Amino acid sequence: MKMNRRGFMKTCGIMAGYAVLGVNLTKEAVASAMDFVGMRQKSVYDADANSKIYKYRKSQDNPMIKKIYDHKNGFLHEGPCGHMSHHLLHTHYVDRSARLATLKDKGFKFNL
Amino acid sequence: MKQIEGVMYQANAPKGVDPDGIFFVQVDPAKCEACGSCDEVCATGAIQAINDDGIHAVVDPAACMNCGQCLVNCPYGAIYEGVSYVDEIFEKLKDPDTIVVSMPAPAVRYGLGECFGAPTGTYVGGKMHAALRKLGFDYIWDNEFTADVTIMEEGTELIQRVKEQGKKNARPLPQFTSCCPGWVKFAETFYPDLMPNLSSCKSPIGMLGPLAKTYGAHETHTKAKKIYTVSIMPCIAKKYEGLRPELADSGFRDIDATINTRELAHMIKTAGISFNSLPSQQPDPALGDSTGAATIFGNSGGVMEAALRLAYEVLSGKKLDNPDIKVVRTHEGINTADVKVPGFGTVKVAVASGLSNAAKLCDEVRAGKSPYHFIEIMSCPGGCVNGGGQPLDPEIRASLFRSTVAQINKRFRARKVTA
Ligand code: SF4
Ligand code: SF4
Repeated sequence: MKMNRRGFMKTCGIMAGYAVLGVNLTKEAVASAMDFVGMRQKSVYDADANSKIYKYRKSQDNPMIKKIYDHKNGFLHEGPCGHMSHHLLHTHYVDRSARLATLKDKGFKFNL
Repeated sequence: MKQIEGVMYQANAPKGVDPDGIFFVQVDPAKCEACGSCDEVCATGAIQAINDDGIHAVVDPAACMNCGQCLVNCPYGAIYEGVSYVDEIFEKLKDPDTIVVSMPAPAVRYGLGECFGAPTGTYVGGKMHAALRKLGFDYIWDNEFTADVTIMEEGTELIQRVKEQGKKNARPLPQFTSCCPGWVKFAETFYPDLMPNLSSCKSPIGMLGPLAKTYGAHETHTKAKKIYTVSIMPCIAKKYEGLRPELADSGFRDIDATINTRELAHMIKTAGISFNSLPSQQPDPALGDSTGAATIFGNSGGVMEAALRLAYEVLSGKKLDNPDIKVVRTHEGINTADVKVPGFGTVKVAVASGLSNAAKLCDEVRAGKSPYHFIEIMSCPGGCVNGGGQPLDPEIRASLFRSTVAQINKRFRARKVTA
């Protein structure tokens, strides 16, 4: 790539970065991004284990689940994967590879 | 264009169009500084330099899974969202003839508080329900309820698949989860031959839409055609999912609008609600009550753990005393585990987040070398809590200089390693 305005900025960035901040910053930045995710993840598991927030911890113990799947009067009385479930809650998938193939034919490069 | 929690949005609320033709994320060339952070996080390569200046663009919606990882990692805020239903939802909330229903995903309640100054990850589920009531939603239903339904359906499907092996017309193993719309589109685009391995279950929001307009309408004596369902997600790809033409099993559009955590925060602020002083409230029960198994859907490994809490009890006929199945909890990358179920044997599972990790597991399945029964995949590293629609990591833009340098260093080092 020829040296242009933005390419130049990038090069300056690299040099300034090494000069001012040293090389270990990358590790820190990546680690801090995952810390951020880790903090949210921990909060999720804490809520799961907190009986004041979630009285039950298994889906099959949820009283509203028992109600909707009730064999007698439940809306989904045939149980999971029954007729009504298949009608409302299950789906099918669509092969979308053709559009990608067209793009590749046009000369676009992708990672996969 | 409108700025919402640090991200630009086009006020575009599409109806009845092919979502494959929409750019859900795109680069503003005037703001792009050619740093390349976006193409590093993109697994497909849909976002790439389009000229000698290194200005980036999403080249075609067909190659983009709408995960938004490029957007949340752009240190210059140059990537915007192409679809926003916020204005339309405000109108529907005002219309006395429309029954507006809220459907927030698990991860929203672990991100929303950050927009109001709470520390990263603070749980604000109760306040979120109260805020939705204040905004004027008629029913506070919750996508966590259908996370529990998903476990019942998908867990049952898995047990059926295991039992039918060796029989005629058996559905193949491993079974892949189908909750993540970025992953589903990825499979349809890059691994269509593996579609039979995908669970036929809709995602939790794909289930709550039609249940709201059938079961929910019945339970509340509401006319289904008056119901307007709002999916509230930590995710951008869910906007694509909501527009899938086949999601109309209730006899209407199952999902009328989709927004993300940032847009919900914006709506709460616009309405002048003082979020931090709200009391904690419960959702409306019929389609609102949920369990710990449902809330962990927000984490990578969560669907797996929740499903195992069911599968263990069904397969062994025993009670699972300690529901913590920590071996499947996944912070990054790929995690595999053998889970021993008494009276059944070993259930082999894998969990991956990030689409390049997904590709590794897919290649294994394609080659017929996958030893697993069940594989959970999420597009965003760490899971939905790190979704493309969540509040931004302040570190990424707090110091533009620092983060840019870090990004450049990262590429420099990555090159050195592969050279
Ligand atoms: S991350 Fe942002 S600034 Fe950097 S190349 Fe991508 S769009 Fe441009
Ligand atoms: S949204 Fe995801 S798939 Fe699309 S360009 Fe961005 S990172 Fe790539």
